[in-house]
Amino acid sequence: MPELGRAALVAALGLAIYALLAGGLAAHRRKRRLARSAQNALVAAFVATAVAAIVLVAALARRDFSFVYVAQLTSSDLPLPYALSAFWGGQEGSLLLWLLVLTGLGAAAVVTGRRVGEDVIAWVVPVIAGVATFFALLVVAVESPFATQVAPAEGAGMTPSLQNPYMVAHPPLLYLGYVGLTIPWAFAMGALLARRVDERWIVATRRWTLLAWGFLGLGQLVGAKWAYEEVGWGGYFAWDPVENAALMPWLAATAFLHSVMIQEKRGMLRAWNVVLVVLAFSLSIFGTFLTRSGILNSIHAFAESPIGAWFLTFITLVVAFSLYLFFSRLPLLRSKTRLESLVSREATFLYNNLLLVALSLTVLWGVLFPILSEAVRGEQRTIGPGYYNFFLQSFGLPLLLLMGIGPLIAWRRASLRALRRTFAWPMGAALAAGVALLALGAGSSPLGLVAYTFAAFVLGSIVHEFVRGTSARKALGAASWPSAFGQLVSHNRRRYGGYVVHAAIVLLAIGVIGSSLYQTVREEELRPGQAMTAGPYTLAYSSLERRQAANAEELRAVLVVSRGDRDLGTIEPGKNRYPVEQQNSNEVAIRSDPLTGEDLFVIADQIDEDGTVYFKVFVKPLVNLIWLAGVVFVLGTLITLWPDAREARRLAARSALAPSET
Amino acid sequence: MIALALGALLAALCVVWVALPFLREPEPADDTLAAPGARRLALLEERDRALAALKELEFDHRTGTISDEDYRASVGALRRQAAETLRAADAHAA
Amino acid sequence: MSRRSSPARLVVALSVAGLLAVFLLYTSIAGGGTASLQPSELAGRAGKVQLAGQVVGPIQREGRTIRFGLRDIEGTATVRVTYSGSVSDQFRVGRDVYLAGRLVNGVFVGERDSLVTRCPSKYAPKASGA
Repeated sequence: MPELGRAALVAALGLAIYALLAGGLAAHRRKRRLARSAQNALVAAFVATAVAAIVLVAALARRDFSFVYVAQLTSSDLPLPYALSAFWGGQEGSLLLWLLVLTGLGAAAVVTGRRVGEDVIAWVVPVIAGVATFFALLVVAVESPFATQVAPAEGAGMTPSLQNPYMVAHPPLLYLGYVGLTIPWAFAMGALLARRVDERWIVATRRWTLLAWGFLGLGQLVGAKWAYEEVGWGGYFAWDPVENAALMPWLAATAFLHSVMIQEKRGMLRAWNVVLVVLAFSLSIFGTFLTRSGILNSIHAFAESPIGAWFLTFITLVVAFSLYLFFSRLPLLRSKTRLESLVSREATFLYNNLLLVALSLTVLWGVLFPILSEAVRGEQRTIGPGYYNFFLQSFGLPLLLLMGIGPLIAWRRASLRALRRTFAWPMGAALAAGVALLALGAGSSPLGLVAYTFAAFVLGSIVHEFVRGTSARKALGAASWPSAFGQLVSHNRRRYGGYVVHAAIVLLAIGVIGSSLYQTVREEELRPGQAMTAGPYTLAYSSLERRQAANAEELRAVLVVSRGDRDLGTIEPGKNRYPVEQQNSNEVAIRSDPLTGEDLFVIADQIDEDGTVYFKVFVKPLVNLIWLAGVVFVLGTLITLWPDAREARRLAARSALAPSET
Repeated sequence: MIALALGALLAALCVVWVALPFLREPEPADDTLAAPGARRLALLEERDRALAALKELEFDHRTGTISDEDYRASVGALRRQAAETLRAADAHAA
Repeated sequence: MSRRSSPARLVVALSVAGLLAVFLLYTSIAGGGTASLQPSELAGRAGKVQLAGQVVGPIQREGRTIRFGLRDIEGTATVRVTYSGSVSDQFRVGRDVYLAGRLVNGVFVGERDSLVTRCPSKYAPKASGA
């Protein structure tokens, strides 16, 4: 039923346009019923988009090749989950997903945000509807997922490397993140349009921002895991433009999550918060543009299509609109309070913000460099990983340190004597860790040693905070230590959930540093019967095996692994040959040590006819901490997201006490 | 055919849903958007901020993040501020 | 306008200055990136560049070293390339690739492990008719 899909999308477009125009008029004239009607139109646009999505899902499930989209991306022997994942495997489906998530999140945020104030919501609706109109226009007029054809006998199938569970989850997670950043932006714009720049837009969007940020972070980590296991070059992140596209808005949103706390607690940084929210949203649209237009040299070269011009126009409009609104409302955004001291929690948040934004913008500069240099010097120039690594180190190390310092410093101001006392423990932990690491030979990379000492400092400060908080709760009358701990976290979920997220970032840093600065790489050409060593491991190449799987011919080099006298079994790197798709894929072998988090990572880089194999072997210490960090990250984000009844009551009381004064 | 019928049904439902606020209240007494008073809201926000700051100061003092002397230096001003904002909010309510 | 200047402004000013210094430091050490060229633009170029183009045959393999031709993606200028190191499974005649290296006696000598093969636009298998 492609007609139903098309009709539903046209309806969604109509509803979005109505919500934009009627909503704008209602907010301007302050008409209550018309504003409600526009809200309903936004909700209805979500329903219509969902109908279109169901039509596409059904077509994918039935492998209905009369849909051009289905025929291009699936085949009849493709397992169902992968066939369904083709929803976001192509351009048209991805745009439909964008629209679906946007209208869904938008409708939910508007409906739950009503209690915060209809005056602001009235302006938020047309802003969200404006974005929805753009995406609806794209799926209706430019890239329809419902184009039909005479059904061919068989579809083109899915690239083997995409047939992976991580690749099923990665794109929708990223989209939830990208799209979710529309919500805080729309509320900020709504507040500016309504000239009501009080705290309500922040209160209403706090959870949505956290949710979007959490999805964006998790999505990137899942993508890294996919790259590590499936792309198989021995890494997990390569500063590819498409990876950077997700990193930039995430960094900006991280800065926003921090600075917004300063506004809530101290009433400062109001203008800056608007800037950050605009930056995060613009970068997320820019990220979608990068992944969808194929404008840059990237191994993710997506289909080049006319969509680039549309996106560029839209980004320009978004930025111009945001900037106009920002500057015209700037006098409203002045804050009454000032920073009291350069040694205070507020100040560390400010430093953290500057570093995060600087990092985000340097990545942007690197991504844009080829285009800018071509425009200015007439020659395309590219920037390598060296550039990014340099700035990651220059800005990342101070950021790491700040993560440990922040929790130890009081709001407003702190005297040096107090600092000396609170710093004693974490500093001691850091020094002890540094000495221990030096003894273990971590001095081979001075940078790594410094970073690990910082990491120990941050972990020390986090543990210190939890211990002191718990014992204070105990002293306040908690029955037992566990209940004191429970009370501590539940009375201030955002603070302690935030510390858990910090711990995740430290784990990530430890994993990244261990697996890059302390890795061992060996390359050797072996004939069957020969052996090689890599770090503490010995790998003996015993034989080359050829097997026939359902849809591929598998070539596997069997290696017997040992460490000292200990036999660790065999691993089998190799290659798969897919005759139907006419593709080869590298199948790396990974042996993880659950105790130390170390991976032995083997690539059979080149397999000759006579059985000679050129092996590439990586020993990556601590790399599994990166994936563990993902679990901790999700846990921390959930703690901060969990609804807080006490807080909800207080906010409800606040809006109830502030009746209309028209 | 079914597709067309479903499409028409969807369109009709959407139209009704969008028109609902007008169908429900054909002639409302008041069709103006409600907005909380700006001054009052600001006062309440300030009050909540001051109270939260005081609470956090107490807890940070208890955990030792804030030393006794820093606590003594800050607590007076914060208490005064909290009392002022409470008074201002109440005065505006009256 | 302001009665006394806020320390926040001082912090921002100092940080911006600091960031600029880091940036300048980087560009003075590392220069402004590597030129990204097509085979037709290669003539007379000394020094390291990044070369992008379409693979043309014949591809000769000799242990870890491969030799192949690289042509402008939209054009006819061609250069021979010799390269050793990792080669993607996607590498074959007709694919777009890029690699770092320099021109030596009319042959482009690639840097080890620098060859990147762009995925054939995996999400849109064919432009109709083309």
